[in-house]
Amino acid sequence: MKKISLYITILSLLAFSGCKDYLDQAVDQRAALDTVEKVSELLATAYPQADYVTFTEAASDLAEDKGPSNTINDEENRNPYFFEDVQSRAQGSPSLYWYACYTAIAAANHALEAISMAPNATEYNAQKGEALVARAYAHFMLVTLFSKVYDPTTAGTDPGIPYVTTPEKVVLGQYDRRTVAYVYEQIEKDLTAGLPLINNNAYRVPKYHFNTAAAHAFATRFYLFKKDYAKVIEHANQVFPGGDIKTNLRPWVSVYSTLTANEGLAIYTQATENANLLLTETQSSWARNYGAYRYGLSTPIVNYLYRSNNVTGERWIFPLYTQGGGDNWLILKFREHFVRTDANANIGNPYTIFPLFTAEEVLFNRAEANLELGNNELARTDLNLYASTRIEDYNAGTHGITNAKLRNFYGTSTVKEGLMAALLDFKAAEFVHEGMRWFDILRHKITVEHPTVEGQVITLTPTDPRRVFQIPQEVILAGIAQNPR
Amino acid sequence: MNKSFYKRIKNKILLISVAFSCSLATTQANAMAVPSGELLLADIVVSGIVRIQGNNSQTTETLPGINVVEKGTQNGTITDAQGNFRLTVKDNAVLVFTMVGYKSQEIPVAGLTTFNITLAEEGRNLDEVVVTGYQTIDRKMFTGSATLLKGDDAKREGITDVSRMLEGRVAGVSVQNVSGTFGAAPKIRVRGATSITGDNKPLWVVDGVILEDVVNVSNEQLSTGDPSTLIGSSVAGLNPDDIESFQILKDASATAMYGARAMNGVVVITTKKGKIGKPIVSYTGNYSTYLKPSYNNYDIMNSADQMSVYTELARKGYFNHSDASRRQDGGVYTKMYDLINAYDASNGTFGLKNSQEARSAFLERYARANTNWFDILFKNSFMQEHSLSISSGTEKSQLYFSTSYLQDNGWSIADQVRRFTGNARANFNISDKISVGLISQGSIREQQAPGTITRISNAVTGQFDRDFDINPFSYALNTSRTLTAYDEDGNLEYFRRNFAPFNILDELENNTLDLSLLDLKLQGDFAYKILPNLKYSFLGALRYAKTNQEHKVRENSNMAMAYRTDDDATVQAANRFLYRDPDNPEALPVVVLPYGGFYNTNDDNLVSYNFRNSLEWDKVLREIHTFRFFASQELRYADRQNKSFNGVGYQYDKGGVPYIDYRIIKQNVEGNFNYYNMSMRYDRFLAYMANGAYSYKGKYNINGTVRYDGSNLLGQARTARWLPTWNVSGSWNLDTEPFMEQFANVASRLTLRATYGLTASMGNATNSSLVLQNGSTRRPYLSEVESMIYIQNLENSELTWEKQYETNVGLDAGLFNEKLTLTLDSYLRNGFDLIGPIRTSGIGGEEIKVANYADMQSYGLEVTLGANPIQETDWGLRTQLTAGFNKGKITNLKNDPDIWSLVTPEGGPKQGYPYRGLFSINYKGLDPYQGTPTFVNEEGEEGEDVYLQSDQTQYLKYEGPVDPILNGGFFNALRYKNFSLSALVTYSGGNKVRLNPAFKTTYSDLDAMPNIFINRWTLIGDETSPYHNTPATSAREVSAGFEGYPYNNYNYSSARVVDGDFVRLKQVSLTYNLPAARVKTIGLNNLSLSLVANNMWLIYADKRLNGQDPEFYSSGGVAMPIPRQFTLSLKVGL
Repeated sequence: MKKISLYITILSLLAFSGCKDYLDQAVDQRAALDTVEKVSELLATAYPQADYVTFTEAASDLAEDKGPSNTINDEENRNPYFFEDVQSRAQGSPSLYWYACYTAIAAANHALEAISMAPNATEYNAQKGEALVARAYAHFMLVTLFSKVYDPTTAGTDPGIPYVTTPEKVVLGQYDRRTVAYVYEQIEKDLTAGLPLINNNAYRVPKYHFNTAAAHAFATRFYLFKKDYAKVIEHANQVFPGGDIKTNLRPWVSVYSTLTANEGLAIYTQATENANLLLTETQSSWARNYGAYRYGLSTPIVNYLYRSNNVTGERWIFPLYTQGGGDNWLILKFREHFVRTDANANIGNPYTIFPLFTAEEVLFNRAEANLELGNNELARTDLNLYASTRIEDYNAGTHGITNAKLRNFYGTSTVKEGLMAALLDFKAAEFVHEGMRWFDILRHKITVEHPTVEGQVITLTPTDPRRVFQIPQEVILAGIAQNPR
Repeated sequence: MNKSFYKRIKNKILLISVAFSCSLATTQANAMAVPSGELLLADIVVSGIVRIQGNNSQTTETLPGINVVEKGTQNGTITDAQGNFRLTVKDNAVLVFTMVGYKSQEIPVAGLTTFNITLAEEGRNLDEVVVTGYQTIDRKMFTGSATLLKGDDAKREGITDVSRMLEGRVAGVSVQNVSGTFGAAPKIRVRGATSITGDNKPLWVVDGVILEDVVNVSNEQLSTGDPSTLIGSSVAGLNPDDIESFQILKDASATAMYGARAMNGVVVITTKKGKIGKPIVSYTGNYSTYLKPSYNNYDIMNSADQMSVYTELARKGYFNHSDASRRQDGGVYTKMYDLINAYDASNGTFGLKNSQEARSAFLERYARANTNWFDILFKNSFMQEHSLSISSGTEKSQLYFSTSYLQDNGWSIADQVRRFTGNARANFNISDKISVGLISQGSIREQQAPGTITRISNAVTGQFDRDFDINPFSYALNTSRTLTAYDEDGNLEYFRRNFAPFNILDELENNTLDLSLLDLKLQGDFAYKILPNLKYSFLGALRYAKTNQEHKVRENSNMAMAYRTDDDATVQAANRFLYRDPDNPEALPVVVLPYGGFYNTNDDNLVSYNFRNSLEWDKVLREIHTFRFFASQELRYADRQNKSFNGVGYQYDKGGVPYIDYRIIKQNVEGNFNYYNMSMRYDRFLAYMANGAYSYKGKYNINGTVRYDGSNLLGQARTARWLPTWNVSGSWNLDTEPFMEQFANVASRLTLRATYGLTASMGNATNSSLVLQNGSTRRPYLSEVESMIYIQNLENSELTWEKQYETNVGLDAGLFNEKLTLTLDSYLRNGFDLIGPIRTSGIGGEEIKVANYADMQSYGLEVTLGANPIQETDWGLRTQLTAGFNKGKITNLKNDPDIWSLVTPEGGPKQGYPYRGLFSINYKGLDPYQGTPTFVNEEGEEGEDVYLQSDQTQYLKYEGPVDPILNGGFFNALRYKNFSLSALVTYSGGNKVRLNPAFKTTYSDLDAMPNIFINRWTLIGDETSPYHNTPATSAREVSAGFEGYPYNNYNYSSARVVDGDFVRLKQVSLTYNLPAARVKTIGLNNLSLSLVANNMWLIYADKRLNGQDPEFYSSGGVAMPIPRQFTLSLKVGL
């Protein structure tokens, strides 16, 4: 009998010890980051999948109050126009963009963590490069929108945004904003470490990842903000083989202007377009609403940018459309990709594809850097180059930007000022509906005036604290402060 | 020695199979082998007959092999086949009569020489013991809160799902019949909710083994009407006749054995065992019929009133001739215009003359139609249920076999069910020390339901969408009575739905859901008495369940036709079932299902194992100190598989060959929908527990348990997966105290109980390690789409189990010789570490995390009052009143729900409110100029538009809890001679119910309206009248100018909420037992006939419900209310 109890004890012990790994079974089929391919797939989400365009466009001087009729009046569009904080966390809100940037950063950090633990880390070089550059990009966008613009004199004290380099593993992680200078340092570190590792062959759909062209384009933007102009030019020339930007600009004259409306809406954000260097899919209703938002591209702005001659003495070729009302102007750029919740559902989430970097921006960044460095003629060449792709029957002789034209058109005294004014105007026209104007307003400290149909004018001066968008109030849980108001 | 022993064990195991086939022979061999002991010291010869109680307690029978022993000696004998015994004993001896399965009796000889003894069955006295599924404990030593319900008592003839038998019978258990369809589980709560985000379902345990759900359908999902609800009831495969008893374990001490999954209570089902005695054959036959629903009970306009509303709508600009042919849905008006447009070139006439007279004549036929859809779609159908069982046994082996067959022809014309069950159970006492049990249980189900697809909650407009819904009950309630099922020639008449012809009868034939289910359980247990007071037991079970749903959409069904309607460019653009090619932006949508229908399948499979080792030791010291220790180790394993396949273009009438247009696949892939899917879920569980109990003279009992549970469900982190829990409890049997002796004739039994402990359960979070999911990117062009991995949840290293401290104080009393029994329990529960969503800074990368931080508090009181005032030979009256009160509040929850999630009938959680509170958009009356409803919107302003996705919920009106606060039942049984009459009344209340949505922005000429529309606003000034305060039907140009969806908002406003209180006559049953003597003459043991009426009468409910069932969620799909039902039940014992 004693023996039997002994057996039972032994048996039970066996049963117990055999179960040591019993609970290691994963509960579902969740993925593990154990191959190059899987890390690569995770990095497909290392890009902020929300738009900043809704609020940066409305806060910029490309928006004007079109009045209540036939327009959409949403908080995400209205509050930025009045330079008020957006309470909503819905699509198009600064809060959602904040969340999306950090979600992208988390993906990059988990990829980097997986790579650092992989036995064959060198096989992951391309992924490491992408993760570092993507992490730098998301932080750069955060610091640009949610901190004061980089100013070498104050960057050492201006609060930055938390630069996150490790995955969060607790519910409420604690963070520190540090300074803008610190954040720029970190961005540069990640960018310079990551860029050489990038390998276009590692991507299935390169246009949706930091390919070498996109990474260099990002570098031009970063160094332009950092006022390191030589680096801007250096990177701009590496975007395309042989520094050939021209043939990669959007063919507005030969192709875009000849398309039907539906075709025009579709083509702008397609990966097949050479000008698109980096695309991202975002949950955004911008494609649906960008023409109809109340605070948007109004008739006076359209008249100035598109329906009258610009400094070249000619009009841009961009075909103008209106949507559901005479004042709802739009240039065909975005088509909504509606993802239904169910195969037969009427409801779902609207997606908008955004070009985050384009050949045009590289050209403009190079021109701006050249201007800042005093290379006015190089800048003039780039601006003429741009104009040649946006004017029907372009003729270098009649349409070239001369000093006289600059003086007459802008009333500026120096060539540099004139060219800079032309450059900013060209950019405004080129990137309308893309939220890019806001970055020029930040960098060039442009005062923004927003008139309302009631006759009020709200002014945003270069030192106004409202130039910095507000971060979600929950950051208090992370031990950091919101932006001052 | 060990080698030889091993062999012996082996031999015995072999013997089992032999014994199986010839158990009677072995019994007799045993009987003769029993030594008759030493007779020499005897003084007196005693003799007599020992009987045992029969299968129903009215009869007795004799049996060979009953032990008769002189107490304290080896002297004894056994009875012969007629029950006679003869034994010589000392004249002061005490005789002990024992038989396995029966209560032993001790009778002092005290000069008597003849004894006539009847041993009662142990099962008959189940209230004396508590079966926890692991142990059987003497009631006196049990310290927890548990309620026993005997199978015979609980059984409700005609009710096929055993879970509904608990309704109104157990205090603290609420059973809400959110759907009455076979296989759909009712919403069961034991003592309310314990988790904010979890399931809150009680754990079902059958014969000691936890019954795993094949598919986890949460309490909220139960009310969706989705096909998966049909396999939601884990006990649907049990034959009600097999059930010996239900034991409902409620507090921490009672549920301690089940530890980490028992926070929501445990229902322990014990199935019948074979009984010692000659074979008993029992047959139960239930023959039921349903009553059709009737318009008298619902508030639906008749066709004349309905037509007059249509006329008004037509005046207001709806039902225009011009767009009739392009309308998605259309009834009478649409048909009229179609006929007017139909030109027959051969004779130069139109289908209908376009004149006032012709039009009036045409409409008049339909205005007079007054179609009774209930009559057409429902039937007084027949359901039969046959159950046959054979029980037999000897002291060494007991066998029980049963089989049952259920055939339900269905209440509506679209559903039917067949179920087969089989059960074989054998128990062997191989020796004094070793016993073995084997159970095989299986069930097969075949069910047909109306074809349906998953419901979509549409927060944009504020409604629930279900395309192609053909649920007969919803159809009857929502379809205009002006429509006719047959035309004047008696042919099926079609109207338009989804641009395609539609007739409900035709559609129910062509769009079906077939469900099949196979469930098999094999179980074995083994017990070995190592020492007289030390027992080792092992239990092992394997369960294998396969379910399969086939949604068959035949080619000529409306659902398939909708995919191929492309009459003109307008229809093409409007028909969302057509395909728009993103690669060709200018092209019109095209048909991608040119031939065939759909063949969609969905399988849910389960494989589970369960092993348990336990040791039990008890010791009584000098009859004063009783010690009991129990330790067990358990392992559970369950793999769940779900797979689905959407077959397109299946040609049912062309030999089953699919015709596949590649573009329909492309359409789905572009929309990120996979045409097939397979997913696995792995559940692993380990537990160790120890329990100790001590009793002093049976007066004071204390009991303590510690457990250590481990599960993989929280994720891969080793820290999160293990959790220790504990509880202590005690009881004081006051009736044993000397000072109570003077009250002995009043209070024969009085026990005070108390429990305090920590219980836990696994919440709905699995991210103790990083959760990565695969998917494909949301991009418009297939060439740009790539496979991606996304972070679903970041690692939460702090993740742990949801926990709760529970205090329970209870009182059990038996008064006036058990004529009056009372059980009182009150409890306080403090839930903490509950899983809830929390909004973070987002810097870690996850905006809203799920974390253990929420708290919830609840308290309650349960009363069970039983009375047996009359217990005469001819007369008997038994009554039982149960009441359970439970109130809870979420004390900490930082979620921010949107308006829509709080105003839906299922309600939502919010801090400061119950587990699920029902909120309303605050209705502010009608607009005085248009009669449209106005509300307080999300910004606190009055208006018609409320943004339902807003998280600004502070302007909502709190109505009350969704779950009843109070519920219970009142059961009465009256017996007179051979007749017995019983009635069960159930009640519930304290909650709020949302009325079914009846209002829409625009109506089609298919819609039926409730009679409140007669009171609709028509003139300025009506808004102030109490009789015309229903929102107007808006003119077309008015509704086109609406901001938002005011009529949908109205459905979810404070104007559409009523009290959920109700009292229901659940069951009345009249039984006649044929007198035993007469039964014997026809060779039977017993025969009884019962007439049972179920769900007869809603005695009290809020008047404003207007026929809506306060329990039922009319969500379409496969959901149907519980029908009224009559059953004739025949029981025969052989």
